[in-house]
Amino acid sequence: MNNPIKTVVIIGGGTAGWLTAGQIAARHNQKTKNSSKQPIVNVILIESPSIPSVGVGEGTWPTMRSTLIDLGISETDFIRECDASFKQGAKFAKWVDGSDDDFYYHPLVLPQGFAKGDIAAYWLADQARSSQSESFSNSVCFQEALCEQGLAPKTIRTAEFSDIANYAYHLDAGKFSAFLKKHCLEKLGVTYISDDVMGANSADNGDISSVITKNNGDIKGDLFVDCSGFSSLLLAKHYQIPFVDCNDVLFIDSALAVQVPYPDDESPIASHTISTAQEAGWIWDIGLPSRRGVGHVYSSRHTTEHEAKQALADYVGKTVESLTFKKIPIRSGHREKFWHKNCVAVGLSAGFLEPLEASALVLVELSARMISEQLPVNREVMDIVAKRFNETFLYRWDKIIDFLKLHYILSKRSDNAFWTENRDPETIPQSLQDLMKLWRYRSPADLDFTSNNEVFPAASYQYVLYGMGFKSEYEKFSPSVNNWTFAEQQFAQNKKMTGQAIANLPSNRELINKIKEYGFSSI
Amino acid sequence: MNRLERKTMTNLVAIDNKIHKNVRIDSNKAELHGAELHMIPVVLSEFVNLAVQYPIVLTKNGDTGQFICIAMLGFKPYENLFWQNGQWQGLYLPLQIQRQPFFVGNVDVENSEQGVKSNQVVCVDFDSPTIVENCHDKTEGEPLFTENGVETEFFQQAKARIAQLLQGEVANQHFIDKLKELDLLQPLSVEISFVNQEKTRLNGLYTIDKEKLAALTEQKVFALHQAGFLEAIYTMIASLGQIYALIDKKNKRLEEK
Repeated sequence: MNNPIKTVVIIGGGTAGWLTAGQIAARHNQKTKNSSKQPIVNVILIESPSIPSVGVGEGTWPTMRSTLIDLGISETDFIRECDASFKQGAKFAKWVDGSDDDFYYHPLVLPQGFAKGDIAAYWLADQARSSQSESFSNSVCFQEALCEQGLAPKTIRTAEFSDIANYAYHLDAGKFSAFLKKHCLEKLGVTYISDDVMGANSADNGDISSVITKNNGDIKGDLFVDCSGFSSLLLAKHYQIPFVDCNDVLFIDSALAVQVPYPDDESPIASHTISTAQEAGWIWDIGLPSRRGVGHVYSSRHTTEHEAKQALADYVGKTVESLTFKKIPIRSGHREKFWHKNCVAVGLSAGFLEPLEASALVLVELSARMISEQLPVNREVMDIVAKRFNETFLYRWDKIIDFLKLHYILSKRSDNAFWTENRDPETIPQSLQDLMKLWRYRSPADLDFTSNNEVFPAASYQYVLYGMGFKSEYEKFSPSVNNWTFAEQQFAQNKKMTGQAIANLPSNRELINKIKEYGFSSI
Repeated sequence: MNRLERKTMTNLVAIDNKIHKNVRIDSNKAELHGAELHMIPVVLSEFVNLAVQYPIVLTKNGDTGQFICIAMLGFKPYENLFWQNGQWQGLYLPLQIQRQPFFVGNVDVENSEQGVKSNQVVCVDFDSPTIVENCHDKTEGEPLFTENGVETEFFQQAKARIAQLLQGEVANQHFIDKLKELDLLQPLSVEISFVNQEKTRLNGLYTIDKEKLAALTEQKVFALHQAGFLEAIYTMIASLGQIYALIDKKNKRLEEK
């Protein structure tokens, strides 16, 4: 039981595998000054040469910046080699009533004055008394204007990983995997085995003692990280940990993805994810420097694959016959637990949800970081860490499911049962119903989200709620709408910042071109 | 044509000893080019001259994000605190000003043996206030050529300055690359209050990180010395004190108002 954890074996080499390998190696495998010293933890990654990675997740969160910093990666290299671009949030089109001017933004910059007062309350009061008014996100955040004009969140003079407006990335998942692999092998000392994993050998205590490979025999380890994708080789196949389905809440079960070239090399690159609601699902549209990635996620209970293909073809302005579709099944939900014995699952092997808020990669990052930061020193303390890990991530999955559902319950669309059923209270988690009840009388606040493990801040709920026209009676009850000087200052400040940002920021394409030519400085 | 010059070019013409035989230049007016500059690009070979009055720092080129060496002349755009009563009140005039109205341009020359080749030639900015308008009155300014079409000493000196600038750009680049490689740069963060309570925060300026400089190994310090960079580094550090002189200039100007 006191055997130290010396060897971590990672099964699978997609973004989940390499991010986890990178996080653990960067923290525990650093070359010490005394180079004769053995690495503290040995990280081995086994990647199947025959199974292609699913390559989900072309959108990240701003957390990816700190992840890349942890791994010692230069932002310039990352952007050049992973076909990456800047993402400043998401634009949700046609989610409320499906009309052409129906859209709202979920930007990444917090509302102006968010930390100083309840700015949402003033906006709501303002809305109630005047018929014509600016949208919530435009009133309190300058980022919507940047996105609408296709501007970048920084300039070529801004140091790498620093920003003028908060940002995340859009990236080519395949290239990102290859990039991480190279970095892990060349810089972080990760050991690489290209082989198929056939199964696992058990120790007396039920732990995995080794995994069985096709050509390299048994590979022993102290901790096994299952990054084997949907097949979930260790957690599901070996340990039979049940799957918790959430298709009663989130109906999406299929995805069709296509790649769309730009008209020319200088075409604008959208600096936000565009999510456009459809009859029985929605279409994502992600702009990379070299192409767009577009996909239709839908509920096969409410539409057919044929219709879904047609909707996607219509969206990109092509015929169904001219497109090459990649079909990805989506089983919404997650394993009952993620860390069992000496095995922990990261990525699709742990679970998957529709990519409405780009939760796939951020869950990988959070998992990899927690494993790395809390890596058990020996087997004796591993069960304690495992328990914590499971509690933390079950909480996070629940919160993400709630937040995704929020986008559906505020829609007024009724063109398909997909939308009306989504609003049926039977399909809405009690935790979300409770919050919605509270928010009739006040706006989402940090006090609603008090765990250390929160994923979405209260501001995100505000952007979705008020972006979708949620009617609250807040202004009638709020004791806090009594300092209009404060509110007017915030609105004015936001206008000022919007003007300055628009005047000074280059277009997303322009900045990407400059990064390719000159690169960012580290300071 | 180097990047720094691109923006300032307006009406550049390659010099020809026949066409420009009568052109006369009043170099006393060169300083007019700097009247509204709050910073000016400088080269290594003039650091010692500059440090007597100007803070020498680095900033990033707005187009490329690449570091460049500059002398500070003021605290905000269009503010040149050395410009007073229509004159540059400084002991040393930066080369970028001295060189006016001369630039280097690339001209495609057709050559029967080598095809089209790009040649560097000296050009004159004919929009410059240094160009003497009435060139038939041969009392103002200096000619570029003698009656026989031979370059005057004035023109030769001007060309020497241009050469110093061109060589300086190369030296600057090596210097900056070395500073980056040794991780010796740090953002210069200064908040300044002027006499009128106006506050300004210097943004986007960089200088030498003295702690990292002190921590360099013997070999690295010696290599810097051999490359001639150690002197430049210490000159830059010493020149930072001139920020106080610059604040003083600004305060005096505010008090005069």
